[in-house]
Amino acid sequence: MNQVNDRNRDIGPFVPQPDDDQIICRCEEVTKGEIRRAVHDGMWTITEVRRCLRTGMGLCQGQTCAKLVKRIVAAELHIPQSELEPATSRAPMRPIEMRVFANEDGEVKTDE
Amino acid sequence: MQRFDLIVVGAGPAGLSAAIEAAEKGMRVIVFDENAKPGGQLFKQIHKFFGSKEHRARVRGFVIGQQLLEEADRAGVQVVLDATVIGLYQDKEIVVKIRDEIHHLKGDAILIATGASENMVPFDGWTLPGVMGAGAAQTLMNLHGVLPGKRVLMLGTGNVGLVVSFQLLQCGCEVVALADAAPAIGGYGVHAAKVARCGVPFYLSHTIREAEGTDHVTGVTIAKVDEHFQFIPGTEKHFDVDTICVAVGLSPMSQLLKMAGCSMVDDPKRGGQVPVCDEFGATSIPGIYCAGDVSGIEEASSAMIEGRMAGEAIARYLGYIPEADCKQAEKQLERGLFQLRRGMFAPGRKGTKQETTDEGIRLSQTLLTKGYVADDEIERFPGVTHRVGVHPVIECTQNIPCNPCQDVCPKHCISIGENITSLPTVVLDSTCINCGMCVAGCSGQAIFLIDEDKGDGTAEITVPYEFLPLPSEGDTGTALGRDGQPVCGASVVRVRRSSAFDKTNLLTISVPKEYAMKARFFKRCG
Repeated sequence: MNQVNDRNRDIGPFVPQPDDDQIICRCEEVTKGEIRRAVHDGMWTITEVRRCLRTGMGLCQGQTCAKLVKRIVAAELHIPQSELEPATSRAPMRPIEMRVFANEDGEVKTDE
Repeated sequence: MQRFDLIVVGAGPAGLSAAIEAAEKGMRVIVFDENAKPGGQLFKQIHKFFGSKEHRARVRGFVIGQQLLEEADRAGVQVVLDATVIGLYQDKEIVVKIRDEIHHLKGDAILIATGASENMVPFDGWTLPGVMGAGAAQTLMNLHGVLPGKRVLMLGTGNVGLVVSFQLLQCGCEVVALADAAPAIGGYGVHAAKVARCGVPFYLSHTIREAEGTDHVTGVTIAKVDEHFQFIPGTEKHFDVDTICVAVGLSPMSQLLKMAGCSMVDDPKRGGQVPVCDEFGATSIPGIYCAGDVSGIEEASSAMIEGRMAGEAIARYLGYIPEADCKQAEKQLERGLFQLRRGMFAPGRKGTKQETTDEGIRLSQTLLTKGYVADDEIERFPGVTHRVGVHPVIECTQNIPCNPCQDVCPKHCISIGENITSLPTVVLDSTCINCGMCVAGCSGQAIFLIDEDKGDGTAEITVPYEFLPLPSEGDTGTALGRDGQPVCGASVVRVRRSSAFDKTNLLTISVPKEYAMKARFFKRCG
């Protein structure tokens, strides 16, 4: 069992930090303090934090904040970043309008 | 469902190279790219590339992009733009969005060459307009012709930070400083030296404390950090700027590979989440390949070779070429890649502290912390010699994979030898004819032609000059040292432009002879 799965581990109390109001996920406007608080509320994986706060689920799909969120969560859990599984990748990879997503067309036109 | 022999995602240097290689073997290839223009980052690269002839060294990046597109066209590669691949599945099916339509396609092989995206670093005010990735600033300048700002602070001294800083200067921006939390400059010393000799200061072990402004950036405060990257109180420095560029590394955009179920690994040396793959880019799923930055951050020259190797491997995988035929081609490609991955900046040597060059010469510490080789350090490097008459002085002091200077001199005055990362040396008894090809041909702008004693108390120095307006003969001004500080008065005695120089103009300045080994740049009066 790695340290992320061992939920009995004591990670200490939530201690406020001066830069807690700094925005980390700018698409969904999630702050550093909110991410740290979520870890102390029991969200120990990137997936849990993501479901709880929507980090990395906005327009850029975590392209900007994925590494930043990972660093914050790992520091809060006192574990190396490599122990944290990155968020699941699933289609659609880029934000897409539903009317486009549903608009399945035939062949890609080529000049062949 | 439409079927292709090979579907390539990403029309950058890696993707196009692979597509060309595969199409030339008779495969039916389609390339998708989400951008409106192909070429990936190549069309933003206005500087001359490093490497050797086979890596297209001395050619500017955007020209390499044009060459690749022409090759792809000749080979019959279909490139579809504004086409975003939004899904990749295990059985090599892709879903692509083209305008407002969704298409499903199947490839017998898939190559993912989606490249990388810029990292960010949070600080107070980092979401203000005016804070942008260095790559974004480069896109504004070089693709759209828009000035990103007037006064810029660059965070990050890797090659991206250094190259973009120089391009900002070329665009007429004022670069107030380069800062980096690391204690040493991360990119090539020759790139740093180009920026430093324009008078731009470097602040190593410094990072951004705060970006100021209410609705856009109006200033920035940097401060020194200790070895644990904690701010040292009282070391703050303020700059009035309207733009902050961030060049703190790249992350592979490997999500499609992860989605398909390829084995992934978190490798900080390769930039983050990357697929497990062999030297040809074959991932854990047969038929799914990767090449370029998505498989580990490097640069465009190695991405092109990786792409070609993947193209070869895919052709073999699908039976388009017999095993034996590709062995020789592969060997040659591997050799080219091996050459690029040697030297001080080799991927395997990332993060290691190096004291000397491969030749055993102590490295310039001033170069690593201030961006220029100090006057008392330069003499120990083999490219720096003294003789009567005009001769090249090569201020290339780190082992980087680059050797055009050796090929470009018609009189064979400069030698690097077989190993392209060796420091260039001036060949004994060679006769320099002052043609200027080495000065213009050095991608690092590190070669100067010097006549140390004209006999009238003056010396003449020929420097590479890539700024506008170009000074004219007879102009007077100030000669700047390697550190960008004024050293003496100077006058322009000759201005050379030639198509062979490929827009690197040569400025010959006259200075008092005692400054022959100090003056390295020219600033016009006024």
